[in-house]
Amino acid sequence: MGSSGEAGAPSASPGPPTSALRVLPLTDRPGWQAAGEVSLITRPAWEQALCHLARSDEETCHLELSAVTFVDVAGVSALAMTAQGLPQGRRIVIEEPPATLRRVLDLFWPDLLTVEVIGR
Amino acid sequence: MTELSTEPFVHPALFYQGEEEYLQGTVPFIRDGVKAGEPVAVAVPGPNLALLKAALGEDVAKVKFLDMTEAGRNPGRIIPRVLRAFADTHRQTRVRIIGEPIWAGRSTVEYPACVQHEALINPAFQGRDVTILCPYDADRLDEQALTDAHATHPVIISGGRERPSTAYAPEHVVDRYNQPLEQPAAAEELVFQAGQLPAARRFAVEQAARCGLSGVRLEDVALIVAELTTNSVVHGGGSGTLRVWADDSQVVCEVRDHGYLGDPLAGRRPPAGDKLGGRGLLLVHTLADLVRIHTGTEGTTVRCYISHH
Repeated sequence: MGSSGEAGAPSASPGPPTSALRVLPLTDRPGWQAAGEVSLITRPAWEQALCHLARSDEETCHLELSAVTFVDVAGVSALAMTAQGLPQGRRIVIEEPPATLRRVLDLFWPDLLTVEVIGR
Repeated sequence: MTELSTEPFVHPALFYQGEEEYLQGTVPFIRDGVKAGEPVAVAVPGPNLALLKAALGEDVAKVKFLDMTEAGRNPGRIIPRVLRAFADTHRQTRVRIIGEPIWAGRSTVEYPACVQHEALINPAFQGRDVTILCPYDADRLDEQALTDAHATHPVIISGGRERPSTAYAPEHVVDRYNQPLEQPAAAEELVFQAGQLPAARRFAVEQAARCGLSGVRLEDVALIVAELTTNSVVHGGGSGTLRVWADDSQVVCEVRDHGYLGDPLAGRRPPAGDKLGGRGLLLVHTLADLVRIHTGTEGTTVRCYISHH
């Protein structure tokens, strides 16, 4: 799968949506933004982003996912594991994730207090 | 019972004819549990649920009720999401559950999954301090369902009498209903490998939308197909075949590969909250309205039925 054409205007190209995952630091608040989808192929990039997030010194880390089209169960599991492993007082704010992420989170980790989901 | 057994798990089938026998076979079981301070759950079809609630009076407040036609619509999710979901929250004491997963309205497509579920309750609860009483409507279910109940339950209660089943053979039942699935008249098909996983998921969603699914149900298709196709790539020989078609009021998504599903309880165990893996098939069972599986040395076929609502 090529990774070209995903950095510019998101909906400008008529081709199929990208199957890659691109993760960049947020510029105005602590955390990362991701674009693409989280599945078997992109799992290493997703887990690397979560690893950075876990090691951060910030109390609250944001994960902006408005350009993420899909997260599979293993991707949500990795997120939940990261959140469960956070030291006391730290949390993750998930911004505008795809609807499936919230559903899987509610299904398997309904009491996860270190994750807050907002938007979408 | 007089036989020498140290097995704490008790799993009787209750054959009933009419409302009166239903209540005679269930209400004392519930009341005895409540009196002993044991947690009690009742997961039965709506009309029987209403019947029991009316008969129990004040004890209603002490019992957890679930409509089995909703919670257990897909029999494959009853063990993890109904039975163990309740029993596992009360591990310090004996637990009583009434579970009625087979009713007269179950279709011939659903039935094999129902029998396999009943058989798999036995290994799933082996060693557990739990009683699961399974009512069978002897008036309205066919002869085969009652015969199968003798194979899936070690104890049968009929006409108010309790006796061990001489035909008890749960492993045999799981094998016997592991049959090749009937072929659809027509289906859209896609062969996939690791590189086509996202394309396979999008293909399934497009086809399901064309068949009339929308909203949350399309999200379910995406999640289900992502899990099944990923399983094929990781565990099923690296590739597989995806098919989608419409079947009456449902959409069917099927994934076939060269793997063998040797563990019949796969996807039927609740996951440990702190474990990374083990949720893929459980999610499939939870979201789909029916899951049928055929597995053997030549490969595995998993078929998921998703309703429009």
